[in-house]
Amino acid sequence: MHYQTESWGSYLPAARPVGVLAGDPVERIERMAAESAVVIFSVSTCCMCHAVKSLLCGMGVNPTVHELDHDPRGKELEKALARLSGAPPSAAVPVVFIGGKLVGAMDRVMASHINGTLVPLLKEAGALWL
Amino acid sequence: MHSRHPLMCTDQSPSQVLNSFQSQSKFGSSKSGGESTDSGSGVNTNTLSSSVAEAQREAESPVSAKVSSSLDHQKLQTPMEMAASDTSTLPSPSQSASKAAHDKRKGGSTSEKQLDAKTLRRLAQNREAARKSRLRKKAYVQQLESSRIKLTQLEQDFQRARSQGFFLGACGGANISSGAAIFDMEYARWLEDDHRHMLELRTGLQAHLPDGDLRVIVDGYISHYDEIFRLRGVAAKSDVFHLITGVWATPAERCFLWMGGFRPSELIKILITQLDPLTEQQFMGICSLQHSSQQAEEALSQGLEQLQQSLVDTIAGGPSIDGMQQMAVALGKLTNLEGFVRQADNLRQHTLHHLRRILTVRQAARCFLVIGEYYGRLRALSSLWASRPRESMMNYDNSHQTTSDLHIVQATQNHFSNF
Repeated sequence: MHYQTESWGSYLPAARPVGVLAGDPVERIERMAAESAVVIFSVSTCCMCHAVKSLLCGMGVNPTVHELDHDPRGKELEKALARLSGAPPSAAVPVVFIGGKLVGAMDRVMASHINGTLVPLLKEAGALWL
Repeated sequence: MHSRHPLMCTDQSPSQVLNSFQSQSKFGSSKSGGESTDSGSGVNTNTLSSSVAEAQREAESPVSAKVSSSLDHQKLQTPMEMAASDTSTLPSPSQSASKAAHDKRKGGSTSEKQLDAKTLRRLAQNREAARKSRLRKKAYVQQLESSRIKLTQLEQDFQRARSQGFFLGACGGANISSGAAIFDMEYARWLEDDHRHMLELRTGLQAHLPDGDLRVIVDGYISHYDEIFRLRGVAAKSDVFHLITGVWATPAERCFLWMGGFRPSELIKILITQLDPLTEQQFMGICSLQHSSQQAEEALSQGLEQLQQSLVDTIAGGPSIDGMQQMAVALGKLTNLEGFVRQADNLRQHTLHHLRRILTVRQAARCFLVIGEYYGRLRALSSLWASRPRESMMNYDNSHQTTSDLHIVQATQNHFSNF
């Protein structure tokens, strides 16, 4: 069992199941993704992340942004995200979740916007109103 | 008209010439293909061989002096050439040689001589025509050969230059990377293909082809665009600046470039007016496409702006920052450029594919024709602009100005006759 005490301590390790699953990056990601209608995993210095934030905010969405460079275990999360989205580890972010489900990196987000599937998805998740 | 006799034109003895005819009989039969004299020579073989015999006898008489002097200018031709060029008029030289030998023993009369003279002249004219034809053919072949050698040399030079990273020609000797040079070449080929696709689209529409056939052409055009996006992806990896600054494009295109290529929402604006009649649903679909494209473009532009700002912050840093470190960080940031060009190309590609889905086959064909023609005209505009007559700095005379305007209009009309 191993856990890290975080300076802004978000949970109590004792209350959680011990073992490999505790703090498992993928699980953390899924948990974070489920917390809001639209979740963006980002790095504060990444310009493409800025672009995807601009896109969603410009559409009237209010996304929850997790800056992984501000997370002490950010590197792990980045690697896990890269595996999930199929991107190379160097371009792990941005990754977008809508309604708790993985949409993908910038190319997938833009493709779904052009195809006209992004807006219905956002409405379904309650992120957009008419 | 100089009559020409093979035996009179060489320094060889007649028997030597005949021997050379015999040895070249193979050449003779293969050459007899396309020459007009051959049909004549077949009929005239007997007459020829007897006239050969006559000429032989004449060579030993004083009469021959006149004939041989008039033929002096023919001695420029080498004996071998003479023999080779004349061989085709003797399909069976061995046969005629033995006949000639046989005829030697006959005596000749005056009437025979006269008949032979006419025939000789006719045959000589035929031979002359054949000889000239062969000379022309030879000259042409030589020209082809030297062109081939020159082409091979040029190809070798180009390969060598390319591997050294030079591109001579349009860039005026400026160094460009091999990735960029390769892309420029492939883009040039793509433009040729584009022209071909456009012709197909145009003729397909005008011929009112059935939808099935038209669909094949339209899908072919989509694949054609998929191909350029693939090539751009490769080029972006090796030389993103070449792509994003539009070095590959003509000046007018380059001026209005967005992220290394066309702006999808602009394209849709052009199409909307040219694509009626559209159904209500189609019109809504296209407006929606234009809107989402605009939003995506705006997002990418903002991302790129942030990249530029970040770069500026890095390299405009104060003296306290380590120079090498600064450069290393800046280089790292520059690598993001490729991502932006890739995303912009993705946007372009998805837009074209979605357009294809919204429209019927005929509408899609018209749509791609409009796109192709638009860019063709933009490229033409670049050429016209470059070649427009410019007034001298000293002369502000109005009449001079209208003349050059007229020239521009004329040139434009000429250029657009293709459209």
